[in-house]
Amino acid sequence: MLKGTLEGIVLAILASRPAYGYEITAWLRDRGFTEIAEGTVYALLVRIEQRGLVDVEKVPSEKGPPRKVYSLNDEGRGYLEEFWKTWSFLSEQLEELREEGNGSGH
Amino acid sequence: MGTEPGEQKNRYLRYLEVVTGSLEEKRRYRQCKERIERLPHDYRTAVEALQRYMQHFGPDQSESLVAMLADLTDLFEQSAADGIPLRQVVGEDPVEFAEAFLRNYPGGSWIRRERDRLTKTIDRVADGMQ
Repeated sequence: MLKGTLEGIVLAILASRPAYGYEITAWLRDRGFTEIAEGTVYALLVRIEQRGLVDVEKVPSEKGPPRKVYSLNDEGRGYLEEFWKTWSFLSEQLEELREEGNGSGH
Repeated sequence: MGTEPGEQKNRYLRYLEVVTGSLEEKRRYRQCKERIERLPHDYRTAVEALQRYMQHFGPDQSESLVAMLADLTDLFEQSAADGIPLRQVVGEDPVEFAEAFLRNYPGGSWIRRERDRLTKTIDRVADGMQ
């Protein structure tokens, strides 16, 4: 269910502020997306970096290796806009289907 | 079949030495291996298991192979440092994670080439009939 939308969700999170991988997963978990693996989010971050949708800065951390902090760039903002369009279309269509389904019951 | 384990083990090195022979890649590969060896035991076992899976299904070009291994090492080093439980890192279905991860790297084993071939053939004939 989440497969197609996770990318949009992550870009939307990054639209409000830069974040590193674990912060994004923690954000998702706090909001009930508990089944998402850290590694899956990481794989997605690697992909959006490769596609040039985010800028990456390496920030030193007290424990462990430097963290990669991701921020949305212009390319990513354009992509996110497209995602919201697709999402609006999808949710409108689904809402219509639901109303039709409810309507037939009356 | 006493030679099989050795063949498995040498597959990475064979790519690295034969395909491009880049010294820089060999150096990066060795660095990753050393970093993996320093991971806590369970994380290390997980990385090695993923690496094994990726030897069969992942890229077969040394450049993307090393890039993939470096990214994988980054993930597990960071997760170990943050104390994220292994299950939370790879999820309930490690194959799903491995496949999502693999898709980021170009080139591939025969099975990926066959998937591409199927897609291209259908594209060709379907477009041709329109």
